Amino acid sequence: MAALKRTLLNDEGQIQVRFVTKQEKYALPEAPFSIPSGIKADSLSVLVNNLLRETHESGWDEVDFDFLVCGEFVRLPLIEHLKLKDINTEVTVEVEYLERFPAPEPEDSLNHDDWVSASHCFKDWILTGCYDNTLHIWKTDGTHKSTIPGHCGPIKGVRWIEVTGSTATFASVSHDQTVMLWKMNLETYAIECVHIGRGHERSIECVDVDKNSSFLATGGWDNMLKIWSATSDSNSTNEIDDGEKEKGCSIGSGKSLRRTPLMTLPGHKEAISSVVWTENNEIFSSSWDHTIKLWDAELGGLKSEIVGNKSFFCISRSPLNQTLITASADRHIRLYDARSQEGSIVKATFTSHVGWVSTVCWSTTHERLFVSGGHDNILKLWDSRSPKAPLYDMTGHEGKILCADWSNPSIIISGATDNTLKIFKSEV
Amino acid sequence: MATASKSSKRRLEIVENNENSAEVDDIIEAQVSDNADDSTDEESSEYSGLEDDEEDDSDDEEDNSDWEEGSDEDEEEGDEVHNMSTNEDSEDDTADDKVVPTAVPITQDGPSTSTAQLPAPPVEDEYAYDSSDEEDLRNTVGNIPMNWYDDYPHIGYDLEGKAILKPKRGDEIDNFLRKMENPESWRTVYDPQTGQDVILSNEDVDLIKNVMGSRIPDGSYNPYEPWVDWFTNEVMETPVTGRPEHKRSFIPSRVEAIKVGRMVHAIKMGWIKPRVAKDTSVERHKYYLLWNADDKSEDVRRIENPIPAPKPRLPGHAESYNPPPEYTFSEREINQWNRLAETPYQRKFPFIPKRFSSLRAVPAYDRFARERFVRCLDLYLCPRAKKMRLTIQPEDLVPQLPKPRDLQPFPTVCSMIFKGHKGLVRTISHDPSGQFFISGSDDQTLKVWEIATGRCFKTFEVKGTVRCVSWCPNASIALVAAAVDNNVYLINPGVGDRLVQAKTDEILKEMPAQTDYLIPQRVRAVLTWNEPDKAQWDSGFRVTLTHFKAVKHVAWHSKGDYFSSVMPEGDNRSVLIHQLSRRRSQLPFSKSKGLVQCTLFHPLRPYLFVATQRHVRVYNLLKQELTKKLMTGAKWISSIAVHPGGDNILVGTHDRRLCWFDLDLSTKPYQALRHHGQGIRAVAYHKRYPLFASGSDDCSAIVSHGMVYNDLLKNPTIVPLKKLRGHAKFDDFGVFDVLFHPTQPWLFTSGADATIRLYT
Repeated sequence: MAALKRTLLNDEGQIQVRFVTKQEKYALPEAPFSIPSGIKADSLSVLVNNLLRETHESGWDEVDFDFLVCGEFVRLPLIEHLKLKDINTEVTVEVEYLERFPAPEPEDSLNHDDWVSASHCFKDWILTGCYDNTLHIWKTDGTHKSTIPGHCGPIKGVRWIEVTGSTATFASVSHDQTVMLWKMNLETYAIECVHIGRGHERSIECVDVDKNSSFLATGGWDNMLKIWSATSDSNSTNEIDDGEKEKGCSIGSGKSLRRTPLMTLPGHKEAISSVVWTENNEIFSSSWDHTIKLWDAELGGLKSEIVGNKSFFCISRSPLNQTLITASADRHIRLYDARSQEGSIVKATFTSHVGWVSTVCWSTTHERLFVSGGHDNILKLWDSRSPKAPLYDMTGHEGKILCADWSNPSIIISGATDNTLKIFKSEV
Repeated sequence: MATASKSSKRRLEIVENNENSAEVDDIIEAQVSDNADDSTDEESSEYSGLEDDEEDDSDDEEDNSDWEEGSDEDEEEGDEVHNMSTNEDSEDDTADDKVVPTAVPITQDGPSTSTAQLPAPPVEDEYAYDSSDEEDLRNTVGNIPMNWYDDYPHIGYDLEGKAILKPKRGDEIDNFLRKMENPESWRTVYDPQTGQDVILSNEDVDLIKNVMGSRIPDGSYNPYEPWVDWFTNEVMETPVTGRPEHKRSFIPSRVEAIKVGRMVHAIKMGWIKPRVAKDTSVERHKYYLLWNADDKSEDVRRIENPIPAPKPRLPGHAESYNPPPEYTFSEREINQWNRLAETPYQRKFPFIPKRFSSLRAVPAYDRFARERFVRCLDLYLCPRAKKMRLTIQPEDLVPQLPKPRDLQPFPTVCSMIFKGHKGLVRTISHDPSGQFFISGSDDQTLKVWEIATGRCFKTFEVKGTVRCVSWCPNASIALVAAAVDNNVYLINPGVGDRLVQAKTDEILKEMPAQTDYLIPQRVRAVLTWNEPDKAQWDSGFRVTLTHFKAVKHVAWHSKGDYFSSVMPEGDNRSVLIHQLSRRRSQLPFSKSKGLVQCTLFHPLRPYLFVATQRHVRVYNLLKQELTKKLMTGAKWISSIAVHPGGDNILVGTHDRRLCWFDLDLSTKPYQALRHHGQGIRAVAYHKRYPLFASGSDDCSAIVSHGMVYNDLLKNPTIVPLKKLRGHAKFDDFGVFDVLFHPTQPWLFTSGADATIRLYT
């Protein structure tokens, strides 16, 4: 300690830093330290641990820390990081430390019969959509609960709508141009198709549900954004004798409940790849035509638009910090702030993937964490303060990752073309 | 008095002149004519002395001339006498006459004779000695080497032209004896002019001694005489005399004015001619600097920018008088040297190196004059000015093309590989929306792929090699035309809009009634429209067109009702145009135009492009006539593509060339690109972006920027952007087909390695 606390020692290889933290339990006395300039994050972590051990008499368990300088994680030697940020090394540098987000651990691999193209997690229920036209319901512990045939095209999107008591409702969209609303008894696993939404003229790519679980938004290759009712009661359904029933799509009984969209929002020029329903009753939709459009779900009008220069494959919006991250037809993940009035300015670019990024998903509990999966078979966990390198690479997939979800804060799931859904445990 | 003295002086001069030259008259005349302009003090004094009229002058001249004539004769006599005496002197008085300077004959005898004849002795004092440096020339041969007269008995000619005979010298012994005997021999010198011995006087000897001792020759001169400062150089307070200057020192002289006036009058009257001033500005020979620069004077240039003279080649070992043996010529080298006699500049050396035992043995260099001359030529012809050479690099001549970086977006990296085929993938085609594409392969399958994920959605089994697939460009019909061996299958791919699929099936279910239409015999022999059986229908086949020869290419019209099929071996029936809605076909050409490679419909107007082996013919389908014939200059066209605007077409050839034709410009290629290492298999335009691509057997595809402007005056900009590699070679085949995504700047390439790659 005394050796470290050599203040005013202006050796060339030394930088004066002051350690600060926002986490009370790791607080250190506020005194500047002189440390070697070439120090790296792990050495800093050891150093802070040593300091904490000295302040805490009653033993200290080793904690991994991450260090923030100027709002960005230290991934390089400290001096290079400072140079990159253009910070004067002559004055005392404030280094914020925080407990490192623990590494997610691979927990389970759920095998499917075909590519896993859609997944959604709700509490401990996992819903996956598969390219063999089936939906699967799993528990987070890895037990397979149900296989649901019904679609006659590969599933492109699934979404839990609500889980109340013993029944759960969920929606699925598929290449067969339908959105299906399902009801499941959580005890008996009896599954019933409640509605079939027809209206899209081409395959549907994505689905999202609003915060009240009463509406669905879907987008697809017919460039339309459609809003559907998500209620499972039969009041708003128009019972139709299904003359268009197609082979292989027989759902239980002979009659099916057809539903038409409540609203159709044209505007995109190419396929809609992703929709996000915000808590303010707005819809973000991303498209292959290089735009993200913000719609007013109540009025059905276009509110604003973000123009990128690559087609968007996926967007995710954080309810905590209101920003958007996008996956595009290149290897970059871009962060947009939809609230800003300055137009389509990329706030940050996260580059580490080597192939197309196919999916991104914000954490629901951490303001700055998100996951991304790409065609390079790697699922990455990012902190928005570290644009050059992700926090963790989660390997294991042997095919292109098509979907990822972090709706349940404790697990990260990802489906890929290797026919598996991987579950990673993320400590909270 | 003044006149008398002058005239006597003049006479004296004349006498002297007489002695010197024979042409006395000329001199006199010259003096007379000089009178006018000669402003010597004699004449001015003459004028100032007597103020008389002009007649006086003329009298004077007459007097002179009269007198001169007389004196001339006298002189001649005198000269003879004088000559005689000198001769006698030299012979007789050599021994005893002590004071005999070299100029003895003149200084003593000459004047004495002339003075003897002169009537006025008082002037003797004045001219007692001759101060002139002129030598008395007894011998008139001039300043020549006297040994020229060694072989003659005489030694020259005297003033009268008579030979001066050499005095008898005797032989060496005589000379020696004379020298021994004569105590004056040390001061006896031989006068080569006269051939006589002259004994120097004491004064002469002193003179010589002084000269030899670098002293003042005149012994009597005292260089150390006290200095008398007659006129002090100091400016004195008061002048010696305070007398004001006389009036005449500042009034112009009236006498002079009269004199000048008289001369002016004489000039006016032409009596005297003023000497024409020599025009010094005009030089007799005008030289000018041949290499003078126009902008700057040569002097300045030489200082600022000197150009050294070319250096002569330094002699090497071969020039040595004793060159090492390797420099001396062998037999063969000598032969070669001789052989190059006609072209000496090609010789190794301009001479044959020879060895000599010593430098003394080296003969005169026979090429010396020649080499000096050449060297002079070198100097004479060497450049005097540095020429500013325009350094034009070949790159500067290439037009400025925009950088590829500024032309984004264009495909750069391979993003996805579609694997699944087991044979060469010959052909690919996308659906109108860009969600799917179909590929046809040698493994006798057609596969429909989802672009976003790389998923193979459907596989159609066909019996035969798939040569060409083409997705119907009309989005309201879900149909793919596939050329498989002799058949063209129309297949409903079963992807995309279900409603459209159902509608397509409905249309194709029933063969339209052909009641009033009789299939022409010519068409019937070539082709039959066949309905599929149930199994085929279920697997997607809707219509089969069976041709009589193998079909290599199918192409849709943009409306989706017409399509064409090409049978290269079909001779004059190689091109067929089919109408889907009425199930009719027609053979548009009656004559064979060569091996037809492919046909394409114009995207907007009723034109048909037919690519034969060497040409691309453009037919107007409405007028049914040939509109244009494009000369590719290629041996074998492999593929063509039409720009979505319709005015530009791309032609890929097996001889590695990619030709861009602007139909508005000419029938010759607007630009030909040769970037591929091997033959080009396929070319494609992008529908939206200004991009085009070519795929080749060298396993690469090249993406280029090809901007077509609406402005008719602006030619298309063509910039090669990127060479996309990745395909593996298989059986000498590389890339078979290239295809752009309809909306994104993405490129698909199908290769012989059974893969399809997507570059983004």
